[in-house]
Amino acid sequence: MDCAACLELLDADFDDELTPDERADVRAHVAQCADCARARDEIAATSHALREGLARYAAPDVLKARIRGALAEAETDDASETRASHPSVIPRHWLRLAAAGLVIAAASSVTTFGVVRDRSASRSVQDQVLASHVRSLMPGHLTDVASTNQHNVKPWFNGRVDLSPPVPGLDSAGFVLDGGRLDYVAGRAVAAVVYRRRQHVVNVFSWPESGADTRMSAVTAQGYHLVSWRSDGVAFWAVSDLNEGELSQFVALFQHGGAEAKR
Amino acid sequence: MAAPQADRFDSVILPHLDAAYTLACYLLRDEHDAQDVVQDASLRAFRYFDGFRDGDARAWFLAIVRNCCLTWQRRHRNDRLTVPLAPEHASAAQESRETDARAIEASERAAINRAVAELPAEFREIIILREVQGMSYAEISTVVGVPIGTVMSRLSRARKRLASVLGASQEAN
Repeated sequence: MDCAACLELLDADFDDELTPDERADVRAHVAQCADCARARDEIAATSHALREGLARYAAPDVLKARIRGALAEAETDDASETRASHPSVIPRHWLRLAAAGLVIAAASSVTTFGVVRDRSASRSVQDQVLASHVRSLMPGHLTDVASTNQHNVKPWFNGRVDLSPPVPGLDSAGFVLDGGRLDYVAGRAVAAVVYRRRQHVVNVFSWPESGADTRMSAVTAQGYHLVSWRSDGVAFWAVSDLNEGELSQFVALFQHGGAEAKR
Repeated sequence: MAAPQADRFDSVILPHLDAAYTLACYLLRDEHDAQDVVQDASLRAFRYFDGFRDGDARAWFLAIVRNCCLTWQRRHRNDRLTVPLAPEHASAAQESRETDARAIEASERAAINRAVAELPAEFREIIILREVQGMSYAEISTVVGVPIGTVMSRLSRARKRLASVLGASQEAN
């Protein structure tokens, strides 16, 4: 491979978009060409600076409310057009109120906890875990202690929650520790340990829960994947918008790393 | 009557609303315009929802958002000079991590956001989709509607431009 061909593929190699053969060729060339190695380092540095430095914008609540309102309105219009003989029984301003109510309900569901049992219990925990995950993605909500060092994150939980959550270091597998956070699920303070892969956030929630160990179970809701399991009297939920394959890879590493650290 | 639209909003659009809003903010460089366009795009997404089968909901929705941004820009082309967004919206999570290097970091971040704001739109959108949204080349190709090879070469050229701009601004400091 010559330099021109190599330079053309360097970005794709950095982004992990090459076939194994192409990747091997590029890396073999870079290993013995100082110019191309420099170009590769520049790509990595630029990409890193962009990821760290570019602003992210959270859709404001008022926008969500506007969209819900417009959807409710569009729906009554459709209904009155297609079913002219069955005029909508719900006055439009009620729908607007309902739309506003939904926003309030979504905002307050995070702080409302009912007594729930059986399947509805795990469903409700799932909803709450998911709501916490989504809320954590809002600017400023992700971590209370921001650190890529597991030895800073783990002790931070001491005295804040009634367990010491596992915080395995998974950098080498491409899951970078981002920090920890205190969160509130099912009426109790829980530990949330935060990892990142590329721009995807993984929240691992954990809290003490009696009962036998359970195997991993995975569900998908609202475009997020959730994996839950119980181990040694601790309930775990991992949530992310990573694809299912990567998330289960993460969970396997996390379980392995957690067990390793205990030994 | 149940509210199926509202349910679908929660399950299909809401998880990707921040991504949509971020893309619109970068393409339009104005938060108020971005809100109008994202609202319009959300309604369109629902109208065409039956055309969406399984697949990548985020890429599908962002493609609609992008089209709405382009339509909006064609309509308002001569309305204003482009004013890059101030970088004060950088997430608080990042800010809390700042230490003594705060001032330098803030000025670096401002330089980065300015450099991206000044990129031509076809480079800017690919930088945002890759570096902010973390999308794969295939996903970006779906959003932008160009072949994967084009995604690759545009991304590569965009990074090179940014590297030279950022390198120059560092030397000036």
